[in-house]
Amino acid sequence: MQQEELERLHPASYAWALSCCRRDRSEAEEVLQDVYVKILEGKARFDGRSSLKTWLFAVIRRTAASRARRRSVRDLLLAKWAREQVVVRQVEYSDVAAILLTALQNLARRQREVLELVFYHDLTIEEAAIALNLSIGSARVHYQRGKKQLLAQLNGKLDR
Amino acid sequence: MNDDRLHDAFKELRRAETAHVPSFKRLWDVEPALSRLRSRLRVGSTFAFAVVLLIVLAVAIIPRRPAAPSISTWRAPTDFLLQTPGRELLDSVPDLKGTRQ
Repeated sequence: MQQEELERLHPASYAWALSCCRRDRSEAEEVLQDVYVKILEGKARFDGRSSLKTWLFAVIRRTAASRARRRSVRDLLLAKWAREQVVVRQVEYSDVAAILLTALQNLARRQREVLELVFYHDLTIEEAAIALNLSIGSARVHYQRGKKQLLAQLNGKLDR
Repeated sequence: MNDDRLHDAFKELRRAETAHVPSFKRLWDVEPALSRLRSRLRVGSTFAFAVVLLIVLAVAIIPRRPAAPSISTWRAPTDFLLQTPGRELLDSVPDLKGTRQ
């Protein structure tokens, strides 16, 4: 795997990491750094069974999920006051983007993930299924139900 | 609302989020060993903090035992059973001269 290819995918990888980290920029950077370290150390190897982008997105998602699990254990150990000390760095959004994000956050996690991979990252539903480790059938169902709900939520809000 | 409008909204979201992408070099060039060390330090410090917090909580929450009474002032709780009628007669030596008359 060439470093140049990863560099070309870097903006998309960062955006997907943001999505996997509830739009927390610091956490997304940490996740992406962990992913690059995994690749450098050979713990994550691209075997060519899917596109590089799909494979990379799957690694990012797994890494973000495992960090989130560790973080939830840490939060259980630490008192609430300590948790509140953590500063979350978030992106500043335009009105349209903020409305879309709010609607996305009201969807089930899988539906949101499939829709983001298809509409935001221009993956096909089949590629999204691989990145999310789902069957194609499940990914299609999540896509259709999620899109229906998203359109219902956004109906009239974006046309102002 | 159609798919094109949805695509446009996602494009706007992407524009906002990719406006401040951290440089690839900064994230890529980190030494793996340094990263591992940083990760271990983070885990270690979190664990140490949690242990200290647990100790402080345990000290604050667990009720303290009352201080043990001094042996010189201690009285058995069954002492009253020894307070029998006429016990004061046993506390002093009997006066035999007085009883003879």
